[in-house]
Amino acid sequence: MTNKTRIASNIAGSIVLAFLVLPILAVIPASFDDASYIKLPPDMMSLRWYRVFLADPEWWQALITSFKVALLAATISLLLGTAASLGMQRVSPVTRALITGIVISPLVVPVIMTSIALYYVMRPLGLHGTLLGLALGHTLLALPFVVVNVGISLRGIDPNFLRAAEGLGATPWRAFRTVTLPLILPGLAGGGAFAFVSSFDEVVLSIFLAGVQAKPLPVKMWETIRVEFTPVTAVASSILIAITVLLFAVVKLTTGTRTSRRAEHVS
Amino acid sequence: MSVESRSLSFEGVAKSFGSVRAVRPMSLEVKAGEFLTLLGPSGSGKTTLLNLAAGFVIPDAGTLRIGPDDVTALPPRKRDIGMVFQNYALFPHMNVFENVAYGLRVRGLPHAEIRSRVREILAMVRLDSHEDRTIQQLSGGQQQRVALARALVIKPAVLLMDEPLGALDRQLRKHVQLEIRRLHRELQRTTLSVTHDQEEALVMSDRIGIMHEGRLEQIGTPDELYRRPANVFVASFLGESNILTGPVTYLANGGARVALAELGMEITGEAAPGLKLGADAAALIRPEALKFTTSDESGMPARVIELVYLGDIIAIRLRLPQGQELWCRCFSGADMPAEGREVRLSWHNGDVRIIPLQSPQREN
Repeated sequence: MTNKTRIASNIAGSIVLAFLVLPILAVIPASFDDASYIKLPPDMMSLRWYRVFLADPEWWQALITSFKVALLAATISLLLGTAASLGMQRVSPVTRALITGIVISPLVVPVIMTSIALYYVMRPLGLHGTLLGLALGHTLLALPFVVVNVGISLRGIDPNFLRAAEGLGATPWRAFRTVTLPLILPGLAGGGAFAFVSSFDEVVLSIFLAGVQAKPLPVKMWETIRVEFTPVTAVASSILIAITVLLFAVVKLTTGTRTSRRAEHVS
Repeated sequence: MSVESRSLSFEGVAKSFGSVRAVRPMSLEVKAGEFLTLLGPSGSGKTTLLNLAAGFVIPDAGTLRIGPDDVTALPPRKRDIGMVFQNYALFPHMNVFENVAYGLRVRGLPHAEIRSRVREILAMVRLDSHEDRTIQQLSGGQQQRVALARALVIKPAVLLMDEPLGALDRQLRKHVQLEIRRLHRELQRTTLSVTHDQEEALVMSDRIGIMHEGRLEQIGTPDELYRRPANVFVASFLGESNILTGPVTYLANGGARVALAELGMEITGEAAPGLKLGADAAALIRPEALKFTTSDESGMPARVIELVYLGDIIAIRLRLPQGQELWCRCFSGADMPAEGREVRLSWHNGDVRIIPLQSPQREN
């Protein structure tokens, strides 16, 4: 590639990147505005709306609910998704493709349809408007991330590793604990982070399943923005972004070295 | 845990994968302390036989014994085996020490004993200063030795090796062959190894079993297999061979004669079992048994096609009048015939072996 084309492609790439990221990042300066409505650029920097956010227990509650639901959804989807990935390794390729299709389907089916369907299932079960109901609904949407991430990690494991462990006397459970689990840790971390974040910012499904007792942050934002267009929603958005970025940074830092060493080994 | 080596027996063991008969019913005993290599081309069933011994594959029929115990239905972890994989399968998330210690930790041994046994075996494979290294920091040859140490440290009743040198380059392979032979002599572990490399089999083994299409064609010491191959497959798989085929015209007193109609002559030699008078058979003459004669009358006429120098040895490709080619090997010297010259070939009848074209088992 010549210098000129490299510069041209760098510029083009930067424009696309800016188009993707800037609208998201725009909420951050907006959250520091002193005005009573969202506008860009902000007139005067202030922490006014952060104080409003922190002073209002409804916002606090929503944030904590979101945390609980996301943690629960990530945990359930990690357990189910890892078990599914392990099982899918033992079936024929045709069955595997079929199961993958079913597990991935919540990503393909419009969320609004899944939401309506879940609404009718959760109501009679008494799960509507509860933390568990929300978490189960989010698990449905988070499962594909776990299955895909863990599946990729599992495919990278030489089947002979497990045979070696078994030949050395390890029970299947011990072999899983000491060989499989440490090697799929990057996949678990990545899948878990995606599951957490997908639950943390899920709004459509949550609107259908939330109640007064269990109202996650995105639903609270949605309700607030319909009544008043104040920068307090920009504050909530900024917090969401900060948590997401922090989570992926931690995952990257803790598993990054391990995955790169693995890659070296494979090459 | 066994301290002693034990025998490994296959009794009428067979295994098919779908319609592919990977291992046809066969019996084979690896004696306690013996090093036996299964040698054969890929797809001959040798790796399946190894996996049957390890318990990774369950036989359709037959019994597997380690010592006197029937282990046919036992899972690998209860068989007391050590396994060395072709790609070593060392755990990438553990260092050298932890890899070797794995089998001992599984057995719940005290820490002090684990440490001393791991250090002892690492010293034996000459990796004592490498216990903290990660697997990625080791060369291929070092990884091979860690794999060997990991399998041997548990003092297995039987050591199983799947193409143990397959991933090493040629130079290193020669060195490791001798290393494995030394370890085997020191530790006296019953060993079943699998390879397609005849040199590896010849250097390391007490006995070699030749596998072909799921059958054990012949089993014996390297010398027996080379001097007295049972059939054409064994003869051509182990070493270089010249094969001349024709009907058996004489068969008595341990000798046989094959008529070569196109050459208008007969070849006499030592008879292998399984020959039938009148049926086609092969006369086997190893390249080093062929000699040139100066006399113009006796011997088989041939033309020198090319000379290939192999250092102290020279290989000569010859063509017979009917078109077949033969190889001859001899020490290089001043009296080598030039390419294109007509020569006459001779041999001692004692160096010729008359062998069946196929294993007699095939008729079953």
